[in-house]
Formats: sequence, C-alpha cells, structure tokens
Amino acid sequence: MIFPTVEFGIFFLIVFVISWAVRGLPEARKLFLVGASYFFYAWWDWRFLGLLFLSTLISYIAGLAVARAEREGLRKFIVGISTVSHLAILGFFKYYGFFLVSFAALLEAVGLERDLPFMQVILPIGISFFTFQGISYVVDIYRGHVTAERTLLNVTLYISFFPQLVAGPIVRAADFLPQLHRPAALTREYLGIGLVLILSGLAKKMVIANYLATELVDPVFFDPGMVSALDLLIGIYGYAVQIYCDFSGYSDIAIGVAALLGYRFLDNFNQPYRAASLQDFWRRWHISLSTWLRDYLYVPLGGNRGGEVKTYRNLFLTMFLGGIWHGAAWTFVFWGAFHGAMLAAERYMKGKLEEFAPSHTDPGGFIATIGNGARYVVGVIWTFHLVCFAWIFFRADSFSTASDYIAGFARWGDPSLYVTPFAAGLIAIAMFFQFTPARLGNWLARGVEYLPAPLLAVLFGGGIWVIWAIAPEGVAPFIYFQF
Amino acid sequence: MLDLMQEAEAEAVAHEAESAALREAETRASVRRLTIALVLSAMILLVFNSERLATLVNGFEVGPVQDVVVTHATAWNELMADAGLTAPSHAVRAEVNEVRQTDWAQIRRWIERERARTQEGARLLRGAVSEARG
Repeated sequence: MIFPTVEFGIFFLIVFVISWAVRGLPEARKLFLVGASYFFYAWWDWRFLGLLFLSTLISYIAGLAVARAEREGLRKFIVGISTVSHLAILGFFKYYGFFLVSFAALLEAVGLERDLPFMQVILPIGISFFTFQGISYVVDIYRGHVTAERTLLNVTLYISFFPQLVAGPIVRAADFLPQLHRPAALTREYLGIGLVLILSGLAKKMVIANYLATELVDPVFFDPGMVSALDLLIGIYGYAVQIYCDFSGYSDIAIGVAALLGYRFLDNFNQPYRAASLQDFWRRWHISLSTWLRDYLYVPLGGNRGGEVKTYRNLFLTMFLGGIWHGAAWTFVFWGAFHGAMLAAERYMKGKLEEFAPSHTDPGGFIATIGNGARYVVGVIWTFHLVCFAWIFFRADSFSTASDYIAGFARWGDPSLYVTPFAAGLIAIAMFFQFTPARLGNWLARGVEYLPAPLLAVLFGGGIWVIWAIAPEGVAPFIYFQF
Repeated sequence: MLDLMQEAEAEAVAHEAESAALREAETRASVRRLTIALVLSAMILLVFNSERLATLVNGFEVGPVQDVVVTHATAWNELMADAGLTAPSHAVRAEVNEVRQTDWAQIRRWIERERARTQEGARLLRGAVSEARG
C-alpha cells in the first residue's frame, strides 16, 4: 500500500476516524495505531511482520537492560550487543547476496573458484529505517537523552508507526516518545500543515517525479551510450529533481499524515539544491539520515575532535558508510565515497581560503555584498553539479552504465531525443521552488487552518482530483522503498 | 516570598489546566472539521474520479463479494460518465497530453507569433500617436 493510492486513502480515512474516536483511551489508541501500522506493513509482505516485531523486541529489552544496569562497562556491552544484533539482521537481508557475489568474483579473480551458499534473500521493505530507529533508541537511553519505556506498546508504536515505517523520515525516540505520554491533540496548525504537506507531497511525487522518470530519466539511463550529450545533461538534472521530488514528496506526505494523527515529525528536506556547499547540502538533504549519521557514527568516530587528518577520515568514513546504507552495490559505495572525499576536500579548501583571505577582514559594503552574492551563485552552481555527478552513480545500475553516461558527454553534435519543453518545464518549476522563501509552506498552511470544512474539502478533494488528472496513469513506487 | 511562589505555581497549574481544556476543545473542533472535510473530499473523488475506483476494484480477485463490489463500482462509474462528471478529468488529461506533445519548433513558432503581435501592437500604437499629432 503506497501513499498515492485509493487503498491508502480508504485506509487513512478509517484510521483517522477510529484513532480520534478513541482518543479518550490513550492506550487503546496506541494499540489501534500499532494494529493499523502492522496491517499497513503486512499489505507489503506479511511474512516480515515477525522481523519487525523482533527488531522492536531487541530494542525494548536492550533499552530496559541499559536503564537498569549500573556498571558503565555492562551498559556499553548491552548497547554493543543490541547494535550488533540490529546490524546483523540488516546485514543479512541487505548485504548477504552482495558480499557473496563480490567474494565469489574475488576468488575467481585469484583463481580459487568455490561453490558458495548462494540463496535468494528478499529485502524486507523499510528494514534500513526501522533498524536505525531501533539502534538510536538504545543509544539514546545509554546517553541519557531519553528514558527507557516500561511498556512494549510505546516502543512498538515508535518503531512501526506507519507514516514513517517504510521510507522514513528516521524519527528519533527523543522526539517521538514524549509525544506518546501526552494526550493526543490535533491543533489548527497541525491540520493546516498536514493538509498542505500531503497535497505538496502528492504533487511532487505524482506529477513531477513520475513524469520526469517516464519521459526523461528512465529512457536516458536505459542506454546512455545511444543518446546525445544534451539528453545526458538534462537527464541528470532531471534525475536530481526526480529523486528530490520523489523522496521529499514521500517525506511530506509522511509528516502530513502523522500531523493529522496528532504527531510531529521533524523536517527531512530543506530546499537542498539552494545549498552553496556540500556541507550545506547535507544539512538540507535527507536531514533525518544525515543527522543520524552525524550523531551515531561521525561523533562516536571522534568527529572533529582529533585534529584535521582524523576529521577528514571521519567525514570520509561516515559518508562511505552512508553510501553503503543506501544499497548493496558498488555504485552506492562510490557515491558515498565521492561525497565523503568531496566534503573533506571542501573542508580543506575552506580552511586554506580562510588562511589566505580571512573573512573578518571583509569590510562589508556594496562591493562585499556583490562579492558575497557572486560567491553564493558560484557555490550553488558548483555544488549542484557535484551532486549531479554523484547522482549518475546513484542512479546507474552498474559502473559500466555510469561510465557510458560520462563518456556520452562528448556527443554534443547529436540531436536530442528526450529533452522536451514539458520535461524542461518540470525541471524549471521544481528548481524555482528551491529558491522560494523557506516558510512558504507555513504561510500556505496558515491560510488553510481556519477554513471551514466544506472549503477544506474543496481544497483537499479538489487538489487530489487535479493531481490525479494531471499525473501519468499508474502508480510508480517511491525510489527510497528499495533502501 | 514563598506565598508568591506558591501563587505563581497555582497560577501555572490553573493555566496548564485551562490550556489543556482549550487544547481538548480545539482538538474536538479540528477533528470534527477534518472528518467532515475528508468525507466530503472522498465524495468529490467518488463523483469526479470514479474511474480510479473502477480500476481499483478490477484488480480484486474473483469471489462472490468481490464480484458484487466490481459490479457496483462499474455501474457507478458508468453512471458518473453518463452524467458527464468524469469529463473534466478527461479534459484536463487531454490538455496535459497536448502540452506533453509540444516540441521546441512549436515553442519557437509561438515565441515568434507573440513577438510579431507585440511589434504589431507597438506599430499600431505609434501609428495612433502619429495620427493624433498629425
């Protein structure tokens, strides 16, 4: 069951009505939401419900054990055991085939071919997301950011709450669990923000992402060796917009649905293509993952506390592992390593520039404003193209496809097959919204939150009708479901 | 001093109780408003987008209950189509398809036409001004 479908619409309507009807009984409401979330997950594949529950159980028991243990060594040991258990489950389902294939290729390369225990392992949807939430729950208890939940129900709802279950955002226990201890409330602000986010998410996904995928990106990536350089260039711009609209569209709907059920999730995207540096980009792109990696990987590795060289190493390792998290393929490994290396290089260059021309000597004034503006524009263009270059590897199904793609930039004389005014217009519209005021959504929500029910229906029902009428036929799955 | 503190605390408790009551009232009103809005939205979609419902139920497996649902959904869709209520969807889709089929040559011709129209407008305006002077 994916968000932009009739099935989900019916499901949500039922969940909304019942969950608010039983709001006077908080435990019953949570139990109902857990039941609804498990039903939502079972719609994909009921066989993995046990895995979801096992992950929850590991977190719950480890959380209680960490809270009760007094010796520091024992607490660390429990956190370690819990993290290893979570990662073992994730590793088996996500990387078993990848490592075995890579290992077999390595053995073959050195002339030691062996029969290895190959088997088809199905990737449970959302496993990367609920595993990360499970790990952060136990670590946060260890760090004292959150207290261990006594009841299994709260942890179960935290791990499995359906809006974020299959593709995030990665919700932190410290943000979500306190909300379960307060009476559920649907404020006017939540109502307005929820409806605006659901509509904007549907428009991003169903109109922009789906059209760009079918009309531009998929054909260009199908055989990059056969299309012109212009197709390849606009194709990768198109993919940058497609993946943004696809994933941020999903996040918008998830945050909106949670808001209408009375829960607040933090933002997951903040106009990432207006970033003027890679560091800024990662503060705006998939924020829940980048902050997760920062807090549970970069900081434990030492962060920027161990000198310059160690900081570069930690940056690189964090992004490298972030790349692997995205998928079991060498193209994702390269994507992560590239971002890590570029982040380290950017940090180094910034340091050198600061030495050469310290910013505090800048006197300000008209010339400085022009200079800063030009620097920002150049920074945005440079960062966008670096990100686009890395997207080639993220989207390509193999290194060979990626290298064909890059080699194709020499074919500037060939006529374009896929760059239509429609595709270019979609890219332009999406890029325009990267530079609108960041609080535009809030302003729209303010306009919505006081509307009477019939007008809300015209806006919401009419909005969905327009989106469905404009969008291409059929429903494409969200890109991040595969992670 | 202690009295003042106790008074402030009591005020805070009263304020919290008051704000909890307000929040509860706001929640009740918002839930009622949104429930009505969602049901009306569903009705709008059932009427103007009945084809989606027909497509959904056509994916059901064969069975006595499913067959009844499919029959009713199909009949409903035909009823809406006969009443012309699915036509707006088709019109919007046709417009979008036309935009999708637009090529760069059409865009160029459109720009040239608009430029010519602007120039003609300016020429007429200049002519009108000259005549007025004359």
